Amino acid sequence: MIVDALSVRGLSRNFGDLVVLDDVSFTLPAGRIAVVLGPNGSGKTTLLRCVVGADRPDSGEVLVQGRRADETDPQVRALVAAALDDIDFFPDLSVVEHLELVAYAHGGDAEPVEEVLAELGLEPARDQLPVTLSSGQRRRLALASCFVRPRRVLILDEPEQRLDVRGRQWLADRLLRERAAGTAVLLASHDPELIDAVVDERIEIGK
Amino acid sequence: MTAGPATVTDTLAGVPTARQVRTHLRKARSRHHDHSLGDVLGDAYVMVLFVGMYGWFAISASRDLLDSPTVGQAEPGVRWWLAIAALLAGAGLAWRALRALGPLLVTPATQSWATSAPVDRQAWLAPRFVLLLVGAAAGTAALGVAVAALGGVSDPTALGWAAAAGAGWGAAALALSVVAQSSRSGRRWPTVVGAVPMAAAAVITTVVVLVGRFGDGLPRPATTPTIALVALAVPLAGLGTILAVRALPRVDRATLTTGAQFANAAATATILLDPSLLANLVESRRWRRIGRVRSRRFLPGPGWWALLQADVRRLRRHPSAVLIWAALIGVQYAAALALPGLAGAAQVVFAYLAADRLTGGLRAVSRSPGLRRALGGSDNLLRGIHVVVPAVGAGLWWLLTLPTVDPGPAWLAPTLALGVVAAAFRAGTRPPIDYGGATVNTPFGMIPVDLLRQGSRGPALLAVLVLVQLFLG
Repeated sequence: MIVDALSVRGLSRNFGDLVVLDDVSFTLPAGRIAVVLGPNGSGKTTLLRCVVGADRPDSGEVLVQGRRADETDPQVRALVAAALDDIDFFPDLSVVEHLELVAYAHGGDAEPVEEVLAELGLEPARDQLPVTLSSGQRRRLALASCFVRPRRVLILDEPEQRLDVRGRQWLADRLLRERAAGTAVLLASHDPELIDAVVDERIEIGK
Repeated sequence: MTAGPATVTDTLAGVPTARQVRTHLRKARSRHHDHSLGDVLGDAYVMVLFVGMYGWFAISASRDLLDSPTVGQAEPGVRWWLAIAALLAGAGLAWRALRALGPLLVTPATQSWATSAPVDRQAWLAPRFVLLLVGAAAGTAALGVAVAALGGVSDPTALGWAAAAGAGWGAAALALSVVAQSSRSGRRWPTVVGAVPMAAAAVITTVVVLVGRFGDGLPRPATTPTIALVALAVPLAGLGTILAVRALPRVDRATLTTGAQFANAAATATILLDPSLLANLVESRRWRRIGRVRSRRFLPGPGWWALLQADVRRLRRHPSAVLIWAALIGVQYAAALALPGLAGAAQVVFAYLAADRLTGGLRAVSRSPGLRRALGGSDNLLRGIHVVVPAVGAGLWWLLTLPTVDPGPAWLAPTLALGVVAAAFRAGTRPPIDYGGATVNTPFGMIPVDLLRQGSRGPALLAVLVLVQLFLG
């Protein structure tokens, strides 16, 4: 039996009487890229936050490789890499130290760090502290945190935000390589070019 | 060549222990600054010394004040029962604070770069839990001693039992709040645990006030059941600690980071001397919990009429403000019974707090030039409209609490009531803090005089009103 990399079943989230997510369900096999589409305020970010465990849904469940996606489960954290807009930085750690920390905490070594730095154009900023980075560089650092560690599912919230033209081209290329490597990618995006270039499935919410 | 996705053959193979990640992080961070453990311990020592010295001074002064003729004589049981009610209310509020903070939390940076990894959650949180447990027990032990000393206890053995009771209940509350943090959303028991002491405090206060005003007063029990409190608290703390340790692996990212936002806002508000930073977060959380409201058209009329309706509507959607306004009436009646000589001063302070709860609209228009531009009209007109609700609320509150104070000169009550509205207005229209103001170098360090001046806008006038009441009332 083939197990989907990511399954969302009947996910609902309310803020008081306001229904943000109403019974959202979908599945995403390994090696596929899905985009969550919907107008502003339709709950795209809330959906991604519920999937990674940054927010608690009121009902429904998320499965990662057939396993209930409980954020407290180390196996789930090992499988799911995410770059949402709530990322923060240690003010006293450099760019390269942030990435080495993630790689180390996931049981890896620093080997992929230099490659990812080069790929994302962060080499000149490798020793800079976060406060000195531009918003685009911070975005690249957040994305880099996903690529220096093992992953089977990748969750990205509007990854194209604050990236320049070359950065967006790199992003599309990177996502295609993730797909080729068998990673399931779920992203929210408003960039039609990126969506047309990489996406296999469209999940519409808030219609 | 570019890095491809690493393989996940065995997802947890080679993952370091929590201690190893913590050490890695600490070493990396310590390379960029020289803040040693000795510095931290030194700061902690100064803090403990400061709190101990001034805390004991405050207790002694309060004890002298309670025994002084200025405060007046209360019925024997009144202060005892009201102290119990105050402790219960404090316990309920402390539980809510623990729940809002977590109490376990990790900073957003730690969440993003360390605890998002498959590091053992229990091992990561255990040192924090132990630290919090010891801190809570020590803090509430000191509180127990302070309360006993305030109640006239000086026997070292009795003070020791009070400390043990405080430590036991503090540790139990902390441990159980960790269990609550790990429980699934929708569980009712954490809400009930917070509500029961608050409800008990309200019932005790009501009974004391009614019996005090219309009866002979409640008798004070022959002894305070401190030993029974210890006997209850110690096993509860032990059981709570066991449950909390077992619950640590289930404490999830959602609750760990939510508390961190509160802690961060509280720390920033303290450092920058700007409580509005914390108040804004609390307010945004409150409105987020409500989520959706029923929108209705305003009754036709001039612009000020619509703004006034909006301010009243805001109050209806925030009923806890009205609840606190009403609860403060009961508090004033209780204060008048317990501290009859200070009833007038208490009325001024509580009236200010009651009116301040109603200044949500005033604060909203005052802090946002963009909102004022969008609404149109002069700033004074907008502020004038939004002071109507607090002024009416303060006036009504004052009338309802008039029986608690001796009538002084005829001019005094209206003057103080108007002064309270003015103080609430000044606090509500406080502009964003400007950090470029003057600081003065004193033997106690740099004092940001201008920050203190800006922060005291409102409370400073309140202090003047209290002095007026004390000397002329």
